[in-house]
Amino acid sequence: MEENSVLVVDDEPIVRESIRDWLKDAGYQVATAESGEEALELIKKQDFSVMVLDIGLPGQAGIAVLKQVKAQRPWIKSIIMTAYPSAETTVEAKKLGAIDYLIKPIAPDDLERLVRETLDSVGREPTVTTEVEIRPKPPVVEVVEVRKTFVITMGSLKSMVESLAREMEVVGVKSRHGKYVYDKIASFEELRLDYDVTAMPLTKYLLPAKETLLKFKVGDEPKVEPVIEAIPKAIIGIHPYDIKAIELLDDVFMTTNPDPNYIARRQNTIIIGVDCLNPSPKSFAPSMGTHLTETGFDLLLTNIGADYMVSVGSEKGADLLAKHAQVREPTGDEIAKQKAVRDEALAKYKLSLDIPKERLPKLLEESYDDPYWESRSESCLSCGSCVMVCPTCFCFDVKDNVSLNLKDGERLRQWDGCMLIDFAKVATGENFRHDKASRLRHRIFRKGKYILERYGRFGCVGCGRCATACLAEIASPLEAFNAIAESVQAKEAAMRIVREVRPEIELYAPRLAELVKVEELTEREKVFEFSLQDGKALGHRPGQFVEVSVMGIGEAPISVSSSPTRDGTFQLVVRKVGDVTNALHNLKKGAMVGIRGPFGNGFPLEALEGKDILFIAGGIGLVPMRSLVQYVLDRRSSFGRAILLFGARAPAERLFLDELAAWSKSPEIEFHETVDRGDENWMGNVGVITTLIPKVDIDARKTMAVVVGPPIMYRFVIGQLKKRDLPDENIILSLERRMKCGVGKCGHCQINGVYVCQEGPVFTLAQLRNLREAV
Amino acid sequence: MKPKVAFFDFTGCEGCQLDVLNLDGEELIDLLSAVDIVNFREVKTEREDDYDIAFIEGSISRESEIPRLQKIREQAKVLVALGACACIGGINCLKNQLPMEEALKIVYGKDAKYYDTIPARPVDAVVSVDYYVRGCPPITAELLKVIKALLLGKESDIPNHPVCVECKMAGNVCVFERGMTCLGPVTRAGCDAICVNSGRHCWGCRGLVDDPNIDSEKDILKKYGLTVEQAVEKFKIYNTYAEVTK
Repeated sequence: MEENSVLVVDDEPIVRESIRDWLKDAGYQVATAESGEEALELIKKQDFSVMVLDIGLPGQAGIAVLKQVKAQRPWIKSIIMTAYPSAETTVEAKKLGAIDYLIKPIAPDDLERLVRETLDSVGREPTVTTEVEIRPKPPVVEVVEVRKTFVITMGSLKSMVESLAREMEVVGVKSRHGKYVYDKIASFEELRLDYDVTAMPLTKYLLPAKETLLKFKVGDEPKVEPVIEAIPKAIIGIHPYDIKAIELLDDVFMTTNPDPNYIARRQNTIIIGVDCLNPSPKSFAPSMGTHLTETGFDLLLTNIGADYMVSVGSEKGADLLAKHAQVREPTGDEIAKQKAVRDEALAKYKLSLDIPKERLPKLLEESYDDPYWESRSESCLSCGSCVMVCPTCFCFDVKDNVSLNLKDGERLRQWDGCMLIDFAKVATGENFRHDKASRLRHRIFRKGKYILERYGRFGCVGCGRCATACLAEIASPLEAFNAIAESVQAKEAAMRIVREVRPEIELYAPRLAELVKVEELTEREKVFEFSLQDGKALGHRPGQFVEVSVMGIGEAPISVSSSPTRDGTFQLVVRKVGDVTNALHNLKKGAMVGIRGPFGNGFPLEALEGKDILFIAGGIGLVPMRSLVQYVLDRRSSFGRAILLFGARAPAERLFLDELAAWSKSPEIEFHETVDRGDENWMGNVGVITTLIPKVDIDARKTMAVVVGPPIMYRFVIGQLKKRDLPDENIILSLERRMKCGVGKCGHCQINGVYVCQEGPVFTLAQLRNLREAV
Repeated sequence: MKPKVAFFDFTGCEGCQLDVLNLDGEELIDLLSAVDIVNFREVKTEREDDYDIAFIEGSISRESEIPRLQKIREQAKVLVALGACACIGGINCLKNQLPMEEALKIVYGKDAKYYDTIPARPVDAVVSVDYYVRGCPPITAELLKVIKALLLGKESDIPNHPVCVECKMAGNVCVFERGMTCLGPVTRAGCDAICVNSGRHCWGCRGLVDDPNIDSEKDILKKYGLTVEQAVEKFKIYNTYAEVTK
């Protein structure tokens, strides 16, 4: 980002150009936009430090721009210009984070001074000078510093909450049906800071149960637009274990593939925690190290009797106190009191782990085949309550919803969970976690092992909500952990703190691609050739896949079937097995689809180089394999022998007949094929694909076997290859799973601790030996 | 050409058809621009025997209803079961617990001899069904979802998980935690837990999920104070026809 870059948005040319010239003369980098649309386009491409915005743009566009900027680029500071200052727009603009106001006509000096001050000051006190301004009380403490703790009286806390409520939505804990819930707070009196645990965590404020990711139009002028919305919010009264859970969500959504929708909400949310002094009888937070926290909050309160201690956890928190509250330094007695109430609370926990949490990963690993999972899951209702109430669960599903005109629609994301029956089911009908025991084991492994290994923190914070929500009384990870207790040491990875992340706005938005050619291969399969609308090459590796969207129907993962060494288009072979693939089969040349990706690791080309390559493809497995075969043939001199074994169930199911014929004659590749069952015209081999393996001569030391086919084929092929003494590192397999999001978030494609869309779909057999769910 | 839609009622209260009329003005106009409604007793008197999509409301509880339904199935390209009675048999099936003669006598007294009745059953016990719009009454949003799915020729993706999922998404405190009992843990979702949202419990009107853990649900109902008989009664209200209560 340019340190002194300014974007000026005004529909009046004279105003826009004058401001541009003044600021340029003052030494700023200036860009201009004459409409809200243009401004948003610019912001997508380029970063700015300050935006000077005419809030009176036609048709509410000013407020809309402010909203989008707040959601997508929350660090841009906005200065508003208006000819008609009103209470409503002032308050609304302030809620949307506008720093200051200028009333038209504008004097060059005022403007230049304001831009300079805005740039100079981080979190500067607003100096709005319209008559509607609500002046904050002067702070008693001169400088509020991060990592310091102060005393705030109940009265000052009340006025801080009320003052915040005038600027943003305030969410807190209140009582309902004798239990506690997070909800909007209408008055300070509703707020409960002495609760035990809420029925639901606060995940919905960062990752709503249902939200729109995209809006689209289908038809002659197809269009896809990301939808990213966030309104500034303060959440008050979050217990430390829930703050720890948010830190995990931050790691998931703000590190690799930064999620624009999550980030927009997260960066617009103020976290005000409160120490839990009346723990729930089901909680075991101290065992997970989450009953206290020193990070993850802007402010943290501790009730020490009549008053509260307040710890400052961030610059944002320091600003809040300075602006909205009166605080003072604590006395020695008060510091001692804080420690005393925390110690008293710790003594109230009834449940604990029988072993240090660091031992859990190893312990779980050794209990993978324990009969415990079977017996424990017998009464499981597969109702999903345990995952829905879990503050660290984040898996989701994505679906399209079109309006009745069948032209406009939206793509929705909604919560999903690995305890639900269909979670790991793919379009072909195979369910990779079809029994209750494997689902329960997977969930407990996520809590105690997989998430730790992936993100460096445990997937369980010990809040006890799942143990309360589970009617069958089987969900508690604590009971599971204790039941399988045994000892070995494991290490906890380093903690990361993520704040100033730039979201990837287009993460869920497909690029448009035109169907340039379509050809029928068999009764069920067609090959589609696409060209990206922006004219760019797909940029894939053989073995990678893309998410293909038929807007209104949905999205499906399809592997790329052509080599990147061929021309600018790319080919996908699609078997008719579900809604999206049926819809694809109905498309005609010229139709537009959405493409995200390429995703996944692809085949390890570097490891294959210089080696003899034994390709083994079963049925539709030839589709991704073809990409690699073409690649090897196009760069023939870089590889040793190329041997292709192909098996289909019947002659009618053979794909790419022309290429098969060409390969069978080519001196470049040794080709053998077979069918399970022949017919009257079939002259070739009959038998399953494994019967071909003994027929070829291979040198086990310099051969890499690449195997792609249906799940059932792998076990038998691996057996044959091992007979030929091929080491596990030289056997490469590509796996099929339900890859819903493609970016390592939704959880559907997970095999044990691995996300197939990220670390896969291509694995060496050596890697798979440690993944029990894989083959 | 717009597909022609017809509504037919069998044994039921016709509330599901009335519910179609609960679509808001704009949705109704959009619907009418997407399809032609040729047969709808609640709305119009003219009728046509040429239609593509048939909505069947009610369960099948008389001998004469069987050939009538079979004829509709032959004509319709797409057949949709509308509401609890059509989808799962619904409350009409409560009578299946009695001998039919006794049921007739209770309802019609001395005139019983003029009527016939057979054990009530859902539509798919007689003919094949392409789409289900569940619930008593159905949720209009789901009705629209199914209509859009059938216009697009895709599956209607009605969830195969229990109501608990949507109930938690709605942020409710669990019915059991509030001292009542509930069929949510085994009932198919899709209603956004509307009854719990309004302070009640789930009655099971959308039928059971594909593979419900009935033993576990019964154990839970017992644990929360119901007798075996009361637990079974709870299931029977809508789900007598399902295997679980046999």
